[in-house]
Amino acid sequence: MHELGVVIEVIKTVESFAQQNGLTKIDTLVLQIGELSSMIPKYIEACYPAAVDGTLLQDTRLKIEILPGNAICKKCNKVFNLIKNNMVCPSCTSKDWEILCGREFMIKEIIAC
Amino acid sequence: MDTYKIIEIKQSVFEDNNKDADLLREELKKGKTFLLNLMSSPGSGKTTTVLRTIEALKEEMGIGVLEADIDSDVDARTVAQTGAKVIQLHTGGMCHLDADMTRQGLLGLGTEGIDFVILENVGNLVCPAEFDTGASKNAMILSVPEGDDKPLKYPLMFSIVDVLLINKIDVIDYFDFDLEAVKERAKKINPNIKIIPISARTGEGIDEWANWIRTEIKKWKQE
Ligand SMILES: Nc1nc2c(ncn2[C@@H]2O[C@H](COP(=O)(O)OP(=O)(O)O)[C@@H](O)[C@H]2O)c(=O)[nH]1
Ligand SMILES: [Mg+2]
Ligand SMILES: [Zn+2]
Repeated sequence: MHELGVVIEVIKTVESFAQQNGLTKIDTLVLQIGELSSMIPKYIEACYPAAVDGTLLQDTRLKIEILPGNAICKKCNKVFNLIKNNMVCPSCTSKDWEILCGREFMIKEIIAC
Repeated sequence: MDTYKIIEIKQSVFEDNNKDADLLREELKKGKTFLLNLMSSPGSGKTTTVLRTIEALKEEMGIGVLEADIDSDVDARTVAQTGAKVIQLHTGGMCHLDADMTRQGLLGLGTEGIDFVILENVGNLVCPAEFDTGASKNAMILSVPEGDDKPLKYPLMFSIVDVLLINKIDVIDYFDFDLEAVKERAKKINPNIKIIPISARTGEGIDEWANWIRTEIKKWKQE
């Protein structure tokens, strides 16, 4: 599991962003995670309290938005969700596709003052 | 009362590592050390292949090994017996290495007089694919017992590597493993991928692999 190390990096990034922008209170941190990313939201939530402990984000709420893992079929050009369709094109059953989105792991925004 | 507002950050979390990896690649270029990142599932034969590779190339170049694979029956000590410089990295349970950990490892190893470093990454095909280590080239091993459908299950890994070693080719007759199908699947994901079947046990294919390394190091020096 690599979530903790990565979450600590996220917290550091947000802290330095807050410092540079003169922010002192961060109410909410919003992350975006693609369905195909190796980051698992459940694990991120689990290690978040440990990662923020003693930082500027100690009392900051965490919100995670999931981005869909979509692909385009190279045979019939259908765009479909890989997870829901078991990695197979639902219209022609081809396994020959290209990932369009879903690998993201982004710090989207913070609600702060 | 404080007024809270929404402040967009829109920064990819991997961006910092990607930048750091590019920086490390430049540092290594200046220091004339070629770094190969070797990835695979546990037990595919990374350490055994590292031993063979050292054997094939040690007369021509100074070789170092960064050993990050923990659950292996052949470890850093075995590698050290070949005479190559080796350091065991303590990944603290992490399932991948990033560029900074790799840099720390290289510092610990000492790259003075070392032309070629192999990083034996943590055994898994998911996380290491997402973290650029700063390596000059990326390699993965798929071993015959793992099955020929791996490219379908781990497309990201197959898409980022420069070379695919198909190991344990000595036991291919005992498995339902379609070599041509694997080649086709891997090429579909990554048309530029170089595929070399080897047996780290018998030494089959190691000449071709060693030649690939020689050629890539030469090209890299001329770039
Ligand atoms: N038959 C066969 N076994 C191999 C070959 N390469 C490695 N092995 C065996 O596979 C096991 C795992 O190898 P190891 O190098 O430790 O894999 P790692 O976990 O990827 O470093 C060991 O028992 C090796 O002896 C090969 O080419 N053929
Ligand atoms: Mg090993
Ligand atoms: Zn289709």
